[in-house]
Amino acid sequence: MPTLESLARRRPTSLEVIHQLLSSLVARYRGEEVLTAVRQIPAREANFRPLPSWVTSALAEAYRAKGIARLYSHQAKSIELVRGGANIVVVTPTASGKTLCYNLPVLNAIMEDSDSRALYLFPTKALAQDQLAELQDIGKRLSDSFAVFTYDGDTPNDARKAIRERGNIVLTNPDMLHTGILPHHTKWMRLFEKLRFIVLDEVHIYRGVFGSHLANVLRRLKRVARFYGSDPQFICSTATIANPGELASQLIEKPVEVVDEDGAPAGEKLFVFYNPPLVNRNLGIRRSYINQATRVAKELLAQNLQTIVFVNSRLHTEVLLTYLQQANLPKPGKPDPICGYRGGYLPGERREIERGLRDGRILGVVATNALELGIDIGCLDACVMAGYPGSIASTWQRAGRAGRRSGSSCAVFVASSAPLDQFIVRHPEYFFGRSPEQAHIQPDNLEILVNHLKCAAFELPISPDERFGSVDLAELCEQLGEVGFLDQSGGNWHWIDEAYPADAISLRSVTSDNVVIIDSSGKDNGKPEVIGEVDFSSALTTVHPKAIYIHQGQQYHVEQLDFDKRKAYVKPVKVDYFTDAIRYTEVRVLDIAEEQRIQGPAVRAQGDVLVRSQVVGFKKIKFFTNENVGSGRLELAENEMHTTAFWLTLGHSLLLDLPFSLSQRQNGIFGLLYVLGSMATLLMMCDRRDLGTAIGERPPGAASEIDWEEFATSPPKITQAKEFFEPNLYIYDAYPGGIGFSEPLYRVSNMLLNSTRELIGSCPCEIGCPSCVGPTQEASEGTKEVTFEILTRLTREARLVATRTAETE
Amino acid sequence: MSMRYVSLERVRGLKAFQRSALSRSQGSAGACQGCLSSGTGELPARMRALRNQPDRLAEILGATRKRNQYGDYLSLRCWCAQPARYLPDIAALRLLMAQAPDEIGNPDHWLFLDTETTGLAGGSGTYAFLVGVGWWEGGGLEIEQFFMRECSEERALLLALRERILERPVLITFNGKSFDWPLLETRYRMSRKISVPTPRVHLDFLHPARTLWRLRLGSVRLSELESHVLGWDRGCDVLTDLIPRIYFDFIRGGPPERLIPVFHHNQMDLRGLAALSTRILSLLSNAENLGQDGMELFGVSRICEKQGEHTRARHLYEKSIASFLPRETDRAARRSLARLAKRQGDFDLACELWREAAGNSRQGYEAYEQLAIYYEHKARDTEEARHIVRQALDELGRANQMGDITPAAYREIKARFDYRIQRLERKSRRPLLDLMAPQASRARPTAHDQAARQAGQSAEQIRRRIDGTLTNSSVDEQWPQA
Repeated sequence: MPTLESLARRRPTSLEVIHQLLSSLVARYRGEEVLTAVRQIPAREANFRPLPSWVTSALAEAYRAKGIARLYSHQAKSIELVRGGANIVVVTPTASGKTLCYNLPVLNAIMEDSDSRALYLFPTKALAQDQLAELQDIGKRLSDSFAVFTYDGDTPNDARKAIRERGNIVLTNPDMLHTGILPHHTKWMRLFEKLRFIVLDEVHIYRGVFGSHLANVLRRLKRVARFYGSDPQFICSTATIANPGELASQLIEKPVEVVDEDGAPAGEKLFVFYNPPLVNRNLGIRRSYINQATRVAKELLAQNLQTIVFVNSRLHTEVLLTYLQQANLPKPGKPDPICGYRGGYLPGERREIERGLRDGRILGVVATNALELGIDIGCLDACVMAGYPGSIASTWQRAGRAGRRSGSSCAVFVASSAPLDQFIVRHPEYFFGRSPEQAHIQPDNLEILVNHLKCAAFELPISPDERFGSVDLAELCEQLGEVGFLDQSGGNWHWIDEAYPADAISLRSVTSDNVVIIDSSGKDNGKPEVIGEVDFSSALTTVHPKAIYIHQGQQYHVEQLDFDKRKAYVKPVKVDYFTDAIRYTEVRVLDIAEEQRIQGPAVRAQGDVLVRSQVVGFKKIKFFTNENVGSGRLELAENEMHTTAFWLTLGHSLLLDLPFSLSQRQNGIFGLLYVLGSMATLLMMCDRRDLGTAIGERPPGAASEIDWEEFATSPPKITQAKEFFEPNLYIYDAYPGGIGFSEPLYRVSNMLLNSTRELIGSCPCEIGCPSCVGPTQEASEGTKEVTFEILTRLTREARLVATRTAETE
Repeated sequence: MSMRYVSLERVRGLKAFQRSALSRSQGSAGACQGCLSSGTGELPARMRALRNQPDRLAEILGATRKRNQYGDYLSLRCWCAQPARYLPDIAALRLLMAQAPDEIGNPDHWLFLDTETTGLAGGSGTYAFLVGVGWWEGGGLEIEQFFMRECSEERALLLALRERILERPVLITFNGKSFDWPLLETRYRMSRKISVPTPRVHLDFLHPARTLWRLRLGSVRLSELESHVLGWDRGCDVLTDLIPRIYFDFIRGGPPERLIPVFHHNQMDLRGLAALSTRILSLLSNAENLGQDGMELFGVSRICEKQGEHTRARHLYEKSIASFLPRETDRAARRSLARLAKRQGDFDLACELWREAAGNSRQGYEAYEQLAIYYEHKARDTEEARHIVRQALDELGRANQMGDITPAAYREIKARFDYRIQRLERKSRRPLLDLMAPQASRARPTAHDQAARQAGQSAEQIRRRIDGTLTNSSVDEQWPQA
């Protein structure tokens, strides 16, 4: 860890301020490890290359007029590769001029042939708007010799025809491509006939379900392009992840060249990890990270440093905003210097805030991830992150919001007491080293694939020798024919159904089944009002009858869940407890794809499983004290899905060898599952909801021998009553068919176990806390110790090396 | 590696293979109608076997199997004496389409067209499985229907249809502009072989029919129009919503007999369309004598007004008001008549109509407003204008107290009149500017009184800026120069 003195060589303004701030923090909490990392990232010189001679003179002139006469090395490399016909993925941090990597080849192609077309896909509408402004600016300098439009749900109907006919560059999003463009491809004939490029921006967003869907949408797009005789080239860009090439080539199913050098200049940056001090060592409770982040932000703002504060929820945006606005009252006659920015603000408001940030009128902004992606807000001085953004890639993107182009800046990460936050803040080397995060997709997830196959058949008849990736379609078409969606005629499979299949498929989840939440009290206008929705799979745990559903800080009591109509009726209430559903989950192994004996002795494996789950009851838990103040039984439908899982089987001898009591051992197993689940989400860049965990007994057939209901309502009893002989610890994909986490988890299982052990080993709590092995009660003492011991046995070799582990292959 | 996911047992469990609740309920509705077999999703193996009798449909329909370079399709021809051939009046046609070329007047160039499709959503997966065309022949209507027995016959069908369209380039449809024709264009593009046969003119009778009869009938579905306007009775017609399912059942090997009503339905649509076009065009050329009631007259006058035939429109509005009209239509007719009178400078009539119409209704307040505009800007009688605006505000206040007006409408209308009264009050306090403006602008623009004109213009500008008409000018406030 660098000492503070070592930073003192150069002291630009913001560094100086942060330096003072750091000293005061160190002084206040001496003895506690509050600042776990202070890294100075030195300024970097630009690496220039000349503009290649093949760039048309008009375009070169237009860029020169914008002040771009030379290219950064990565830009030059990218455009040369594209010129040579390659599909590329550009991996660069924020503000390194990656848009030029795709705009220049596209515009050059249009200059050479004014009929050339390109399709840009952005994960959000806001990003498309931002790019539109950029392209229009160049367009003006080229005397409007090309047409660029956005095409999304907001595009007025009368403008659509012109866009389809004339747009050289169409900026859209995957959802619109899926429901609006591909099913109507004949109207887009002009575009598809001359489609030269497809630009995929921010591809690291396309992971998990969304990515698996997008890969299939792209399969359809390529089919339609082929129908019109074009074979477009792909240009992708991504934030830093461990496997950019793999992800991009999985998405587009073509070989991809990776450009990952960075020739852009960067200003000096100070990166600080701040762990709020402990207030209760036993329970692992720390000072509120929201308050701590507010303090840091206040001091930065007090020095007149333009600051962005990132929080992870809309609610916290408002909380932090209130604190900061109180501390920075507007000057008479001037607008508020501190603003909020999150989903739910109107587009006009957002544009106003973006402009205010660029021209310096706004000093501070409290934002959610809405401001994380490429939207241009100029260069700020400082960034404070309240809570871990969920992935290293996001963290760097957020930090990149400060000091985009030049000058010095600082980024402060304030950790919450969640396990991931605690792991990251205590293992800075994990963060600052090469990114271990992998983005994975499973385009061949059968549920997703079949849905897109239906759309594909709607778009163009499917010939029997067609394939989606490596999947033969003939057999699936046969099946779809049997249930009456398709009909084989003249050799090809034709869509014969009235429904418009794309409408029924949402790209952002596996099935578009949603449960609508209706406030039946009619407090606003006397009419029942829809206040939100939850996806089908989580409906059972969040809006079961008698649950307390919390929406925008307001509690609602669920009166009725109408499962068939997909509606939940709620009424606002004010109570001092929340509910936690008790779910019974049973996993049965269907097919073992890979299996290997590991240290321990234990076994690691991955394959297909059947997960059956049922919500059998719920607990009422009091706010703040987390006391259990009651419970209830529920009789809800059972949910069954085929999916993929990674699992560990702990050998019987391993458990017998442990110098602990039976109940302690059982607690240790549950603690291990909890912490493995947390760590897996970190490695897989996914949400906690994307992975499910469960314990079962080996042999697989008799997975559930324990009385689950009893276990769920009173955990301590079961630990005395039953003993696992050889437990299986499952981490499964929480989507039917699996979305590609299991195999990568199997591959990195050594890393998973080692990181998990480090997490527990470095947690300062005594008997286990929510930051490591999960919340513990008096009866479950020893959990942390046992968990650590099991992990030690599983990673015996690694203990000897005692350093960070390398990924296993 | 990915192939291991494809196991038949698991495929069947997928949600993607289940039909949505919506299509299930449609299926059961179909069963109630007795038009469909109860099974919707599953296809009994027995039905597939029947597929080996492709000629059976041709047999029972009396259709012929035809063949061209792209393969086979079915063609069914018939001739009907009703409706009889009609020679349209080019003037009437130009009321519907101002820039129509001359050949539109020749009925031998006309081709009536109607399609039956596999869905209403559109998009590239919707097929037009039955396309009917009709043309005048032998004093009556000759109908030809093209049918594809399976999807692979589509190209042959499209090629045959293309020839018909090229023979008769004036396309006549009902809602064809937004439905049938774009769908056929999509089909031609999907074929990748056959270019789209672009008709010379495309006349869609949906919009004139809507103008003429929507007020009376509420809906302007072709079958409604037939029974109420033409006095026809289709008898037991197949429900439009069921047509796709009937075709799908046939494709899956169902009995071909069920398609007979679909062919019949398509023929009836074509005959209805031909008869309707005759009815509409004869009304347009001679509404004075043929109009059955005031409503039709009112419709024709609206069409005339839209095409700029103001004199005829005015005459017809007057005629329609003179005959019996329901209250709402009567109001609308009077409002239009007042608009035309104003446009033609007949303010006596316009004022009379506005005074009659003034009252507590949206049109009533509009009439008050028109009157106020007239007195303020045209008659330059500020006092009267103020009087009228006050009347309107009184009326509004009463209606609000009695609860005869919705709060939102009250607020909106009140704001408009409040604004107007404020302006009028201001105006009455500065008569000089008002006097200067008209005098100056009336002055003859010679070189000598350049200065006077400029003064007048600036006075006018000041006045208008105060009035707010400079920035806020609406069509209603622009007056024809006498």
